[in-house]
Amino acid sequence: MPKHDVAIVGIGQTKFRSKRRDVNIPEMIYEAVKMALDDAQLEPKDIDALIIGNMDHFEGINFSELMCGIEAAPGYLKPIVKVATGGTTGSSLAICGYHNVASGIYDNVLVIGWEKLNEGGATTGIITAFDPVWERPSLAGALGPLALMAGMYSAKYGITAEQAAKVTVKNRSNAANNPFAHLQMPNITIDYVMSSQMISYPLRLHDVCPQSEGACALIYANEEETKKITDNPAWFHAVETAHYYTFGTDDKMYDLPTATFASKKAYKKAGIKNPVKDLDVAEIYEPTSWSELSWTEALGFCKPGEGGKLLDEGITLMSGEFPVNPSGGVLSTNPIGATALVRVAEAAIQVMGRGEKRQVPDVEKALAMGFGGSLWTEILILGKEPMR
Amino acid sequence: MSRKKSQEKIFEIKWKTDLPYRYSIGKLAVKFFEELKENKKIMGSKCSKCGKVHSPPRAVCAECFIEMTVEDMVELSPRGTLEGFTVINYPFTDPATGGLRPFPYGYAIFKLDGADTYTMHFINETDYTKLKVGQRVEAVFKEEREGNIGDIMYYKVIKEEK
Repeated sequence: MPKHDVAIVGIGQTKFRSKRRDVNIPEMIYEAVKMALDDAQLEPKDIDALIIGNMDHFEGINFSELMCGIEAAPGYLKPIVKVATGGTTGSSLAICGYHNVASGIYDNVLVIGWEKLNEGGATTGIITAFDPVWERPSLAGALGPLALMAGMYSAKYGITAEQAAKVTVKNRSNAANNPFAHLQMPNITIDYVMSSQMISYPLRLHDVCPQSEGACALIYANEEETKKITDNPAWFHAVETAHYYTFGTDDKMYDLPTATFASKKAYKKAGIKNPVKDLDVAEIYEPTSWSELSWTEALGFCKPGEGGKLLDEGITLMSGEFPVNPSGGVLSTNPIGATALVRVAEAAIQVMGRGEKRQVPDVEKALAMGFGGSLWTEILILGKEPMR
Repeated sequence: MSRKKSQEKIFEIKWKTDLPYRYSIGKLAVKFFEELKENKKIMGSKCSKCGKVHSPPRAVCAECFIEMTVEDMVELSPRGTLEGFTVINYPFTDPATGGLRPFPYGYAIFKLDGADTYTMHFINETDYTKLKVGQRVEAVFKEEREGNIGDIMYYKVIKEEK
């Protein structure tokens, strides 16, 4: 059992863009860190420890801890833990930070994720994350396997390209309400998505996430420190991790069993019986339009094969009963090491009621999801009140 | 949805880096590539506890956490079933060469007869309208094999009574 309740008390994120040529990596991280510190009204000296991470081989800088001594973040004379778990890096950071405070090791931590994806090649970098002998020769980064998953999912349940296109339309028009989002497309149409270039059947250009640059920083505190910092925190109710096989191909590549496994455990911990009714909003990690439909099934928002129907019925729209990705999601913003941390930040923003134009009314509980590795899932549930 | 052309002036320092690596591949992989090179055989490894046949061969069964050795390797059919497919149609740098990987190319996931896991590899089809989940496929081997996964040039769709 955790010794402490843990809350998010400070949030910072950069405006995400395709390229941030005006800053180097530490300068970019600093922007998010400064914003989080200002948000919590804390000084660097107040921070107990740092949890940091990105996928360092994407930029080819393999000891990024160095940057977090002074330039990027207040790590000077403080403990730093570094975490890198592929697409789930951001959610692993978020969960690692939680454990460090919940266990009583630290009273507060600063959690930072970032990526400057266009300084390397995302696809090239992702290939080097996989087995050099068996997988790399045919692997084309993440999109190839995601295309296989989309095709298998579509073949199994009869999900259509039009249903998938609706996800991009929903998320990128939601992104227009989020000042930090990378791709903001208020007037995007289904036809625009469906007539974009086929880059890896059945994925078209606008069925897939962009490559973004930016950073996200969160400050966590235990119950005692939280009281001193803010009267509007977002409390952790549950965190769960489900890792899977080494090779993606060790299992069938659809239905994301780890999402079902991790979410069921998290729902039990957080007292969630029916996620669509008991949760108010979800920020999920959808690398493609097709994946959002599949993940909503795996997370128990609807039955297997009904992800398309869930969106057709408008349930996951901003105006619906259970909005999914009001921030615009990963289809709008994807700085890999920060991507899943942004899901947690946005879930906290919803719980705190600070979402402005992207705010869902009356949020009590929010879910954040990380996806990556070879079919890995991480789940975090946040709430307005502490768990106990 | 037009995008503003960036007018910024860019200061650049350019260089190219070679990053040489040498990987140990394990005894089961050595056996796999020897059989592939010498005998055009595709091998998997079978868990002595649950009987699951892993392809490619693995040294440990995930569920049982039981070690498999070269003695546990079994021959698989070069034929199997197409489970999923795509046609890669975008440019990217191949980390193996430092140059662009040629595209488009067919990329698919198969289940070989006799295996319980799936295999990813090339398929010799770039017209996705000709591919269908459930089609039967067969490995096509290189004539001059070198002992790497490229010795299976690709899988091709075959006509076969199921």
